[in-house]
Amino acid sequence: MDIVSGLLHGFQVALTMNNLVMCVVGVVLGTVIGVLPGLGPPATIAMLLPLTMKLEPTGAMIMLAGIYYGAKYGGSTTSILLNVPGESSSVVTCIDGYAMARKGRAGPALGMAAIASFIAGTFGVVALMLVAPPLARLSLAFSAPEYFALMVLGLAMVVLLSGESLTKALLAMFVGLWIASMGTDIFSATSRFTFDQVELMGGIDFIIVAIGVFAVGEVLGNMEPAKAPDMLPVPKGLRNLMPTWEDMRKCRFAFVNGSVVGFLIGILPGAGSTIASFMSYGIEKAVSKHPEEFGHGAIEGVAAPEGANNAETGGALVPLLTLGIPGSGTTAILLAALILWGFKPGPLFIQDSPQLFWGLVASMYIGNVLLLILNLPLVAVFAQLLKLPAYMMYPLILGVSIVGVYTSANSMFQLGLLCVFGLLGYLMRKLDYPTAPLVLGLVLGDLMEKALRQSLMMSQGSISILFRPIPSVLLILAALLLIVPLFRKFNAARLQVIDREA
Amino acid sequence: MLTRGIRSIALSIAALALAAPAAAQWKPTKPVDLIVHTGPGGGSDLLARAMVTMIEKEKLVPVRINVINKPGGNGAVAAAALVEKKGDPNTIGLITSVWIAGPLTSSEAKVTVHDLKPIAQLMLEPAVIVVRADSPYKTLKDFIEAAKAKPGALKQSGGSVTSRDNIVRLSLQHATGAKWAYVSFQGGGERLAALLGGHVDIMVIEPQEAGEQVRAGKLRVLAQLTDKRLAGWADVPTLKEAGYDVALTPQIRAVVAPPDQPSDASAYWQNTFDALRKTESWKKYVHDNQLDDEFADGATLKKTMVEIERQLKEAYTQAGIKTVR
Repeated sequence: MDIVSGLLHGFQVALTMNNLVMCVVGVVLGTVIGVLPGLGPPATIAMLLPLTMKLEPTGAMIMLAGIYYGAKYGGSTTSILLNVPGESSSVVTCIDGYAMARKGRAGPALGMAAIASFIAGTFGVVALMLVAPPLARLSLAFSAPEYFALMVLGLAMVVLLSGESLTKALLAMFVGLWIASMGTDIFSATSRFTFDQVELMGGIDFIIVAIGVFAVGEVLGNMEPAKAPDMLPVPKGLRNLMPTWEDMRKCRFAFVNGSVVGFLIGILPGAGSTIASFMSYGIEKAVSKHPEEFGHGAIEGVAAPEGANNAETGGALVPLLTLGIPGSGTTAILLAALILWGFKPGPLFIQDSPQLFWGLVASMYIGNVLLLILNLPLVAVFAQLLKLPAYMMYPLILGVSIVGVYTSANSMFQLGLLCVFGLLGYLMRKLDYPTAPLVLGLVLGDLMEKALRQSLMMSQGSISILFRPIPSVLLILAALLLIVPLFRKFNAARLQVIDREA
Repeated sequence: MLTRGIRSIALSIAALALAAPAAAQWKPTKPVDLIVHTGPGGGSDLLARAMVTMIEKEKLVPVRINVINKPGGNGAVAAAALVEKKGDPNTIGLITSVWIAGPLTSSEAKVTVHDLKPIAQLMLEPAVIVVRADSPYKTLKDFIEAAKAKPGALKQSGGSVTSRDNIVRLSLQHATGAKWAYVSFQGGGERLAALLGGHVDIMVIEPQEAGEQVRAGKLRVLAQLTDKRLAGWADVPTLKEAGYDVALTPQIRAVVAPPDQPSDASAYWQNTFDALRKTESWKKYVHDNQLDDEFADGATLKKTMVEIERQLKEAYTQAGIKTVR
């Protein structure tokens, strides 16, 4: 079936009353669980799966996919308003999103998150439709050495996330890498840094660390002054709650960056949306003309990662639907769902079940439009939340954090960890250590270590495997990322000397 | 009057004596917890939720069954949660072979299979050995010979070093003297992608996952890790038929209960799962997922678990993986 007739057929499927309702239910549910920290798409889809047995499979798949990409829209809400990441893929949005909210620009931040999500989400669907098969083959060329180089490139971004002191940023990053190494090592079945605790055998969930150092640390820090802090300004009128044309112009590159980076990382079975959002944030800052604004409320710092995590959805469906390879927790459950409904996901899936594939693609176009319509008016509602006085706001943030962490693992031990990381976040703030590098190290460290060891196992210990074409390019980029700021600094110092001499 | 009284007492004693061996008098009266060791969406979680749906549909249990996720520590957190419910008739757990392997290598995992009360084995998870369709190895023998010719040069992708994938490799290496490398990957998708992308040469995979790849001409199956050929794979030799008579460590899915659960409750649960596996919905589920329907009662399950533990320990020791128990 060629693309035009396929898509027309898909819209016929997706626009039936039944499937349209399923799409609406999916995206609304997705937005809700996206807003709620702790409850993510994998848990929601797994719990709904038994119910879908009674539904017609195409409609059910449309609904579950709606939850999947809808959650990516909702995830930014608490990141921006409360500094509590709603989903792991919205952790990086906290940095500039929350900074924008502190400056009274919560509305534009929320609005931009929705707009960027829509643009990149739609791009992801178009790309899924047009280039899925050839790109799927390309994704197979990616293996351990390539992932290792990609993670090195990611870690090199630490220089971009550091504040005044690169030393402090590196220290924070190493703590993140250390936390990433906790748990049972899959290569040797050895426990590392588990302190004889059963709960630490599986390592520490990165979302707990992120909520601890970002949200809890922030609340503790803000509660310190004797005088209650001033309320955050919330401008009146819908016009002031939306991003301006100037904001849109500023984000032109972020839209492209988020779309492309998100989709490309999405098709790799070993990466995921959190890494996609970090990568696009790093790229955005690296190419920005005013990198100093990042971390202090740069709107591109919201648009790029929020776009990337939505484009990632389209990307992640590529290996799932064209190869039968799930790349993440959510796509693994979608795979199980397809089997449960009697489909056979695999290389022949699109050919065997065109109705489901094209219906799904068409529904994702519709779903993204629905999400934009749903989310923009919600901006006005959510922005009002910031009018709460501090004595209500801080308990709210703590409550949301605690409930979020508890729902993700059902365990008091995890709440203890939340307290530990909250205190760590507070101390880091007091001592002026940036927290983002810690989270970055944690996100990338585990994958990087595994990829390096896998590479060396594949090559019987020869390091040359890391210098295949793709890893070489990525490693050179990482080196440039590290060297260019040093060179700039050196150049600035040289110019100063010349000035003085003159 | 008196005689009638005595007679009725005697009758009721007789009735009791008759009922006692059946022992299925106990019935749950409040919601039951079914503990699984994965988060929502993990393998055990999906099976548990599917089972609950089937039990509800067939009206096998009069109360609601809640799936309780206790992820972490490769089953150790869930096992500890079960032990905490010592003696509770309203709690059961769904286990896999991971629960047996974990405590062998991790000192933190303190609950072994000996601490839990076996209820019923539900199924075995079969597996097949596959290579890429364009691979030069047409049979398992081809692969083993090639591995012998170039020790360590060929590679297998799989899960953790303690997983079944690696145990199979260790047994085959031990039996043949061949050597090939083992590369661990966290996710099943990554393992398959590494094979399809040509980064490794061989892998152990679930039949359901392999089926579509074979149909699309991407993979070739060399052998099946079963005692007898599976229904969907009639033309593929078992490991023994392929010429390698090594002990197969079965991968089980089974139900256990907290220690000291009253025996009438345990009997009730065993009967419930015995009834479940005879339903049409169960048969369809097992067929769709290409699982191996091998029901066994609690006593047999106990023996199986102890035997798996022994085999794993032996394999780990041979491979130099440190065991703590």
